Amino acid sequence: MINRVVISGLGAVSPLGHDVPSFIKGIRAGKSAVRQMAGWDKYIGLRSRVGAASVLTDEKKIPRKSRRSMSRMSIFAVQAAQEALADAGLDTVICSTGRAACIIGSTMGGAESLNETFEIMLPDKDLSRLTAMKFFQCVSHTAAMNVAQYLGLTGYVMATSAACASSLQAIGTGYDLIRLGRQDIALCGGAEELHPTVTGSFDVLFATSINYNDAPQSTPRPFDEKRDGLVCGDGSGIVVLEEYEHAKKRGAKIYGEIIGYHTCGNGSHVSQSNRRSMQACLTKALADAGISPGDIDYINAHATATLHGDKEEAEAIREIFGESVPLSSLKGYIGHTLGASGALELIASISMMEEGLIYPTLNLETVSPECQGIFHVKKPLKKDIRILVKNCFAFGGINAVLVLKKY
Amino acid sequence: MVNNNIINLTNQVFEESFEIEPDQLKPEMNIFVDLGLDSLDIVDLVVALQQKFGVNIRDDERVRQIRTLGDIYQFIDSLKTN
Repeated sequence: MINRVVISGLGAVSPLGHDVPSFIKGIRAGKSAVRQMAGWDKYIGLRSRVGAASVLTDEKKIPRKSRRSMSRMSIFAVQAAQEALADAGLDTVICSTGRAACIIGSTMGGAESLNETFEIMLPDKDLSRLTAMKFFQCVSHTAAMNVAQYLGLTGYVMATSAACASSLQAIGTGYDLIRLGRQDIALCGGAEELHPTVTGSFDVLFATSINYNDAPQSTPRPFDEKRDGLVCGDGSGIVVLEEYEHAKKRGAKIYGEIIGYHTCGNGSHVSQSNRRSMQACLTKALADAGISPGDIDYINAHATATLHGDKEEAEAIREIFGESVPLSSLKGYIGHTLGASGALELIASISMMEEGLIYPTLNLETVSPECQGIFHVKKPLKKDIRILVKNCFAFGGINAVLVLKKY
Repeated sequence: MVNNNIINLTNQVFEESFEIEPDQLKPEMNIFVDLGLDSLDIVDLVVALQQKFGVNIRDDERVRQIRTLGDIYQFIDSLKTN
């Protein structure tokens, strides 16, 4: 028997605010969280000096013994998970039943901790100054592990590491686990940390925005003719997935039902997005949901404002949906939160679904000729959203698409 | 009589690294039972003490005998005296 899977709780630490209401309020107000980053000019060769940082707040509310193993992004993830659980009306007791999972992805471990480790160790090749906690802050599953430990969670604990597709893969994996009856509840999402070395890794690939260092709120510019690359951000987005009958029985608020998901590799290039594989992922997610393109009311695009990625995504969407389905990208508000982006942007999309209002693509002024032929939303658009699609297309050639239906 | 500077610097380590309130930092305090440290904290305690006092104690067997804050004062004092 295949179970139905719903979303019953939301939690966010975002560059626009430290919980879901402040995050959504910022987007509704059309605010950009992108700022010029102080101190980044000391990095030789780093051309992009803008970022969208979340603010570390109230971290001392987490007891030292739990906090000591947490990187900055693990703290974000713990706080988002706590908000999501509370929003779902679930007590942490549920975490110790063995029927609740924790699946949280990120591109890598805590960037600040990784850099501190290298700075301590490398100058003199001396490991004796490394503290015991660096390991737990640097590992790729630092967010999942720390959230699970903090909540006393004894079910599945997994970390999906697929760069910008990490958190959508986490949600997709939770969806599969509950569908198959292996777990009743899954805390799923992603987390990431902004750091000059993280932005630098994209800068080396000529994928970052470099022309707006003095006008940070004008970038990134998804689908715009003057787009020049992505802007990194950080934070965490966590959703509570729940088996439908389980949620119904306890009278939970249901935000929506996940009805389709697919993830796939492009098999062609590590950094060049590929519209054929994007199309394949979209088509298979729709097939998984048993619906056709005409059933979709809104697409939340991946669109990070890179020259090639936006073009490929626009072409993939055009070929399947034509100009019939409104779409927007949220990167202009919060930058590209990488491993957290899928979950954070899904949370904002759920808010659009609840409100019947599509938040537009910020900084999209003139649609680039190569991104035309699709339904760009450039100002708030009232629309009854019954079914939406969330895209994530990651470096490494990994695609993920989720289909969510209004409950 | 242990040098006050050793006491102050050791207490600083407990405040900075383990967030222990200053009023709890008394020589008779058991670092595990009273101050709440565990085996992972001991690794970090050794690193912090090494940095604070410029000593190398990672492989010193005497670290294993430490129970109280006073034991640490005495241990560091003996290192400095020697």
